[in-house]
Amino acid sequence: MKGDMKHNNDKKQAFLSRRAFLTTAVGVTIGAALPSVLPAAEKTDQNILQVWSCGGLAEAFIPANKRYKEKTGIEVAYTGAFAAALGKSLLGGGTTEVFAGRVLGLAKKLRKAGKMLFFRPLCFTSYVLVTPKGNPAGISDIQDLTKPGIKVILAPEAFPPGGKAVTGLLKKAGVLDQAMKNTVIKGSCVQRTMEDLVNGKGDVSVVEYRLTRMSLFKGKSEIIPIAAKYFPPPPLTFTIGVMKDAKDKGSAADYVDFILSEEGQSFFESAGFIPAMSDEGERLIEKLGVKDV
Amino acid sequence: MSEAGGIISRQENLLPDVKTQTGQLKWWRRLTQTVGLLVLGQWSFYGIFRCPFLVPYVSCQNCPVITCHGRIFTMFWGFWLLIPLSALFFGRAFCGWLCPGGLINQLLGRVAPVTLSVKNRLTGLIPYFKYLGLAIALYVWLGWGQPREAIPIRVGGFFSSVLLTFEHGNLIWIIRTFFVLGFLAAGILIASAWCRFACPLGGVLSILGSFSLFKVYKNEKCNECDKCLKICEVGTRPGESNCNNCSDCLSVCSEDAIKIGRFRR
Repeated sequence: MKGDMKHNNDKKQAFLSRRAFLTTAVGVTIGAALPSVLPAAEKTDQNILQVWSCGGLAEAFIPANKRYKEKTGIEVAYTGAFAAALGKSLLGGGTTEVFAGRVLGLAKKLRKAGKMLFFRPLCFTSYVLVTPKGNPAGISDIQDLTKPGIKVILAPEAFPPGGKAVTGLLKKAGVLDQAMKNTVIKGSCVQRTMEDLVNGKGDVSVVEYRLTRMSLFKGKSEIIPIAAKYFPPPPLTFTIGVMKDAKDKGSAADYVDFILSEEGQSFFESAGFIPAMSDEGERLIEKLGVKDV
Repeated sequence: MSEAGGIISRQENLLPDVKTQTGQLKWWRRLTQTVGLLVLGQWSFYGIFRCPFLVPYVSCQNCPVITCHGRIFTMFWGFWLLIPLSALFFGRAFCGWLCPGGLINQLLGRVAPVTLSVKNRLTGLIPYFKYLGLAIALYVWLGWGQPREAIPIRVGGFFSSVLLTFEHGNLIWIIRTFFVLGFLAAGILIASAWCRFACPLGGVLSILGSFSLFKVYKNEKCNECDKCLKICEVGTRPGESNCNNCSDCLSVCSEDAIKIGRFRR
């Protein structure tokens, strides 16, 4: 009897062996990974559309894509990242079906290289002054960045739309040198800039309006407009186009139509962009010459 | 083989309540490791392959990668601080009971021909390398300002994002990533190489763990037979450097010299 119990115990011990556990763990890992992996593997499926965009548009594209799937059943395999990097990939060997990039010149390059079939204006960005809640330093104009004692936060080393474009804007406004002298934090990331500002580490910063609309920062700062005449033109424009690698050109074009519809554009407005399909958007299309080549 | 046979025969000599206790602990550990894999596994994936910063897991509050788990916990610092806090109570138990990286190392260690489960000058020295890893990580994070060295793929598919991140990563990010992957791969040759010799978090937990309240430890009955060292997946003995309190060694000691619980100095 005692011997039987011992035997059963040993059997139980074997059943609980590490090998069995590790095998199960591998199975669980593969099982957990499959839902993420399979859509990528199924990108040839007609019900999946591959869309790449500038990362700054992600806050608009994510809900827009969800809505598109609700309406059509088509899932969007979406990648959002720095547009210049994605553009470089596309001009090399990378492929996608729809591309929404920043800077008109990039869309034109893709068209010229025969990678993109057509593009249309999508939306525009704008730049604003932001201050901590309550605007303790009493900032009212871009010239205030030159006042002695004003603590400016900038991100000159950030990706060009947040770094180089802002220094270009300050230069155009004639305040660059003094503003740089007043800069207490010179960061490399616009989101960190916003975080520092919201936490009161400075009096003012210059950022894209879209950043103030992010859930992380919404309602946590004061926003003061900057005259549009100071905006550097290149980073203002976003376009959306169908790529030559689109498996179903009609389906890709239908998606573009949805994004440019009133419903689609509302997601971009909510995320802090100026929709192309608006009075201001149409004015900017003319002003900036956002036309397909 | 004779070694394994020796262990089994010694296990049979153990008191039934020790065997039961060990079996139960094994089950609990396997359960928590599975939970750790499911909850933290994807986060580990992002940390290695998608995090644009050189030191992952410490800048989640301003990371642009929207789909990363690090953004789920808005109070992520509070969440992360639980790990070093746990070390004050349970030593490196996180490594042995929850860490997905620890589990991967354990899986790879199953086929590793070299376990370094011996006591000599080399095995006494190399566990200190993880403190070098910790010092480098602290310097890059706090001294160097945690530079962003890869293009953050804010949203993207499982594999395509990894490819894009590698495609546009700066040289230093590529070196960092291959260093980590290289150490993980080395686990196929040397059991748990990353956990034992390189993991910066393991370094933090080892330091804090030396003050822990509860742990697996040896008592005065220990006759230095080193059966525990042989069975240990990280090649250590209870209470010594790298011990992650996994409790696997409880069942191999014929002298009843290994205990788990409150450790009184």
